[in-house]
Amino acid sequence: MKIPLRTKILIIVIAIILISSLNFFQKKVKNFFYLISEPIQKVLWQAGMNTSDFFEAILEVKNLKKENEGLKLKIQELLSENSSLKELRKENEILREALNIGLAKEFQLNLSQIIGKDVSRDSILINKGLKDGIKRGFPVITPEKTLVGKISEVFDNFSKVILITDKENSFDAKVVDSGIYGVIKGKGNFQAYLDLIPKNEEIKEGDLLITTSLGGIFPPGLLVGKVKEVKKLDIEPFQQAEIELAFDIKNLDFLFIITNF
Amino acid sequence: MVKKILILTLFLYFLTLLQTSFFIHFSRYFPNLILITIVFINFFAPQNEEWWGIVSAILGGFFLDIFSENFFGYYILISLGISFFINFVLKKYVQIPIIKKI
Repeated sequence: MKIPLRTKILIIVIAIILISSLNFFQKKVKNFFYLISEPIQKVLWQAGMNTSDFFEAILEVKNLKKENEGLKLKIQELLSENSSLKELRKENEILREALNIGLAKEFQLNLSQIIGKDVSRDSILINKGLKDGIKRGFPVITPEKTLVGKISEVFDNFSKVILITDKENSFDAKVVDSGIYGVIKGKGNFQAYLDLIPKNEEIKEGDLLITTSLGGIFPPGLLVGKVKEVKKLDIEPFQQAEIELAFDIKNLDFLFIITNF
Repeated sequence: MVKKILILTLFLYFLTLLQTSFFIHFSRYFPNLILITIVFINFFAPQNEEWWGIVSAILGGFFLDIFSENFFGYYILISLGISFFINFVLKKYVQIPIIKKI
C-alpha cells in the first residue's frame, strides 16, 4: 500500500499532537500502564534476579574458594569486633539511662517492591504511590538501611525513585572516621563519585561514607558506600574519589521509603 | 492489517517489559532491544510498505516513554528520527534486490 507524502506528513503531525497532549495527563496514563503491567513486571523482575544469580554463580565458582578463605578471616575479625561492640553497647545503655536520653526517633518506613528500571537513566519504579502517602523527595533505603535514592515522581499507585547514581543527583556526605565532608555526585550507570574534598584532607581506600544532615535531603547517618579510588590532580582545586556503593541494584527486591525523619 | 498492528503493539509492549524488568539484571550496558527492533523493522520492511517502520517507531517510542523518566514524546521523536533516516538512506543510496522482491 503506497501512502502519498502529504498524507504521511499529516498522519505524523496528528500523531505528534496527540502524543504531546498526553503530557498534560501523563501521570494518569503512566499509572494506568504501570497498573496493568505490575503483575508481569513483578514476575519478570524476580525471574531476572534468579537467572542472573544462576549465571553469576557459574561464573564465580573459581573465585569462591579464595573468597571463602577471605571470609573466614573476616568472620574472626568481626567476632572480636562484635565482642568489643557488645561491651560498648552495654556501656552506652548505662550512660543513656544515666543521662536520661530517650532513644532517637526511629524513621517511619513504608515497604515497597521494585518492579522496573528506566532504560536510559538510573531510575527505578516501585509499587507505592500517592495512595500510600508517598511524596516527592522522600528518601529510599534498603532493608539494611543503606541509601538508594529519593522519590522523583509520584503516581497514584507507583513512584519513580531516582538513584543516587543518577547524573542529576548530588548530596552532602562525610567520611565516617575522619569526618571529612564532600559532595557525592552521580555518574550514571550505577556509578558515583565523591567530589569537593579539600586537598589538604587525607582520605583513603575503604573509608566508609555516610549521609549528613547538610542540605536536608537525606537523614544523617545512612550508609552510602566506601571509597574505591582517590583521584588527586594538581590542576584541580579539590580531590575526587570513586565510590563503591553499598547496594547492588541487581540484588534488590524490596525497599523502604522513609516517610518521616 | 489491524491484526498485524495489534500483534506488533503487543510484541513491543512485552519487549519493553522485558527490557525494563528482566534484562536489567544481566548487564548495566544491555542494549536497548526496542530501538534495535525498530531499526530492524525499518531495514527489512518491504519497500512499498515502509510505513511499518514508522508505525513501529511510534509504538516502540510510546512504550519507552511510558517506562522512562522523560517527557512523553522523547523516545517517539528519537525512534521516528531513526526510522526516517533509515528510510531516507535506503531509498536514496541503497538498492538491495532482496528487499525489492519482498
